[in-house]
Amino acid sequence: MSIGSFILKNALRNRRRALLSILSVSVSLFLLVSLLVTLRELTLPPEDMGAALRVAVRSKLSIANLLPARQLNRIQSIPGVSAVTPFTWFGGKYKNEENMTFAQFAMDAKKLRAVFGEAKMSEPEYKAFESTRDACIIGRVTADKYQFKRGDRLSLESSIYPVTLDFTIAGIYEGTVDDRNMLFHQEYLDEASGNPGWVGMWWLRVASPDDMPRVITAINTAFANTSAEVRAESERAFQLGFLSMLGNVRVLIGSISAVVVFTLVLVSASTMSMAIRERFRELAILKALGFRRRELFVFILAESVGLCLAGLVVGAGGAWLLFTHGYGAGLALLSGAGVALGVALWNLFQKRFSQAAMNLPVSGLLASLGIWACRHPNISKMTNGFFITFEVTPKILGLAALVATGLGIVASIAPAIAAARMSVVSGLKTLD
Amino acid sequence: MPTNGAIVQIRNLSKIYAQGEIQVTALDNVSLDIGACEFLTLMGPSGSGKSTLLHIIAGIDRPTSGECRVQNIDVTRLNESRLADWRNQNVGFVFQTFNLIPVLTAFENVELPLLLTQLSRKERRQQVETALDLVGLADRARHLPRQLSGGQEQRVAIARALVTDPTLVVADEPTGNLDSHSAQEVLGVLKSLSSDAGKTVIMVTHDPKAAAFGTRTIHLEKGELIKD
Ligand SMILES: Nc1ncnc2c1ncn2[C@@H]1O[C@H](COP(=O)(O)OP(=O)(O)OP(=O)(O)O)[C@@H](O)[C@H]1O
Ligand SMILES: [Mg+2]
Repeated sequence: MSIGSFILKNALRNRRRALLSILSVSVSLFLLVSLLVTLRELTLPPEDMGAALRVAVRSKLSIANLLPARQLNRIQSIPGVSAVTPFTWFGGKYKNEENMTFAQFAMDAKKLRAVFGEAKMSEPEYKAFESTRDACIIGRVTADKYQFKRGDRLSLESSIYPVTLDFTIAGIYEGTVDDRNMLFHQEYLDEASGNPGWVGMWWLRVASPDDMPRVITAINTAFANTSAEVRAESERAFQLGFLSMLGNVRVLIGSISAVVVFTLVLVSASTMSMAIRERFRELAILKALGFRRRELFVFILAESVGLCLAGLVVGAGGAWLLFTHGYGAGLALLSGAGVALGVALWNLFQKRFSQAAMNLPVSGLLASLGIWACRHPNISKMTNGFFITFEVTPKILGLAALVATGLGIVASIAPAIAAARMSVVSGLKTLD
Repeated sequence: MPTNGAIVQIRNLSKIYAQGEIQVTALDNVSLDIGACEFLTLMGPSGSGKSTLLHIIAGIDRPTSGECRVQNIDVTRLNESRLADWRNQNVGFVFQTFNLIPVLTAFENVELPLLLTQLSRKERRQQVETALDLVGLADRARHLPRQLSGGQEQRVAIARALVTDPTLVVADEPTGNLDSHSAQEVLGVLKSLSSDAGKTVIMVTHDPKAAAFGTRTIHLEKGELIKD
């Protein structure tokens, strides 16, 4: 026997409790990892070059206020601006759907490549989009969801303009951060609604990143003291501003994470204290045999950290598997369900009914989670397209590992101190 | 009483528990010499201080005053960590309630004190096998404590006590939880430890028949030694 196997035997002496504490750590770490990934996804800055060159111009009053279409010439004339397109929220409902499940924007089709170059389509699709008045293009995610193809027609009833427009799908694009939007001609919308002379906002592209600050200032001052003052900002600033409208997500997710970690500390600390308390007599024996405080501390620490790290592997590893290899996670869950079912049957066979009664729901839970994961093998399917990527980054895994290790250490402090303080004689007197 | 060549020399040992106003004198000025290869039995009524004396000799408790030299080392003055090392090398413990670690096999329980030594895995195995052989349980090495009878458990505990080849083996009522047959076996093993293996064995017991296995019996009463 080695010291390591002694520690392992101690940690697993109460199988059910070890399993439950690993499970509680893993569920919490799973939650923590999911929260951190969500936070990262929501605040992810656009990475592509196109985004670094893009400027959003919207009404200074609010994102919902429209801008006069005549601003176009003035913006175009600012040096450093290479392309401008209107971008107008249509707010259309598809068929009889209750909620809007994809956004539609009216824009200048000829500026698509210049401003949103990352939206990739074939050449004929570009051509068709530019040349057809009622043409629209749809992001790959939405197209897949509704099984739209080139040439399909669709009709959308606007919740903003008193119109219902019919479109022909000219192309399916992909390659943007979020391939979900539907884009169509601003002119088509203008004609149908009687040329009101308003647009939702402007997106423009600057010639080089160095031009960005100057262009932004120039636009802001150009319309200062007019009836339609604007706010121009980089794409990243625009998106972050958009987020803050949803409430301070960062603070919210941060505080939920803190509560999760705090609860976890309480649970682990009390579990560990209990596990050591009931072994006080044995610890006294170990002391009598010559084990010092230092060694007992190592035993307790290793057991505590070991359990937390096992929880880490299951929880954070499970999150990684589920979010990036959903199918694999599903299979892992299903095999877990199989094992639980096997254990349940064995217990039934051995006439240990209460244990079997505990195993069966576990098996059922794992099986249903597994089937769900297999049916939704990627995050886009899981969240109905809300998240496109849901990357469990090494940094997040590292943070989870740090939390798990810290947790193990913190949980072992109180029992280690109690064990160190205990005299052999008093320890021997404690009853089992 | 041997004074020269004594393994254990106890001088004016007192242990007083102060609980608020009340003071309990567990040991009152005890002086005693114990020779090598002796099988000393300690008797006396409940609360007379037998366990206390045994604990101080074995280095798991400290006296209020006095000294206790074992092979000329005053164990009452060693610091915690030196004392732990000293116990590991010099003392083997046997308790009334066996006190084996329930998740370890007989073999592993006996091996436990050796984990603190520099011995290789192979040397450890040899020593454990020798010790188990000595208590007649070589064939039970792979059994867990709950798969053994009380008497067998206690013999495993004795094997654990002697596996480090200590100078002293202390036993606090080792037969208190055993039927008379198992008790005989355990006492036989303890006796042979002093007579054959050359250990100094100190045993606390309430049972005169058990005490008869020893080479000498001393009596304690209210913390004081009664000369016989
Ligand atoms: N921690 C303590 N606090 C106060 N008094 C104590 C403590 N431990 C022991 N005593 C007292 O010391 C005295 C001697 O106790 P000890 O355990 O040595 O007796 P003993 O001879 O072993 O008795 P028994 O045969 O019942 O085991 C007793 O009066 C006991 O009440
Ligand atoms: Mg006693």
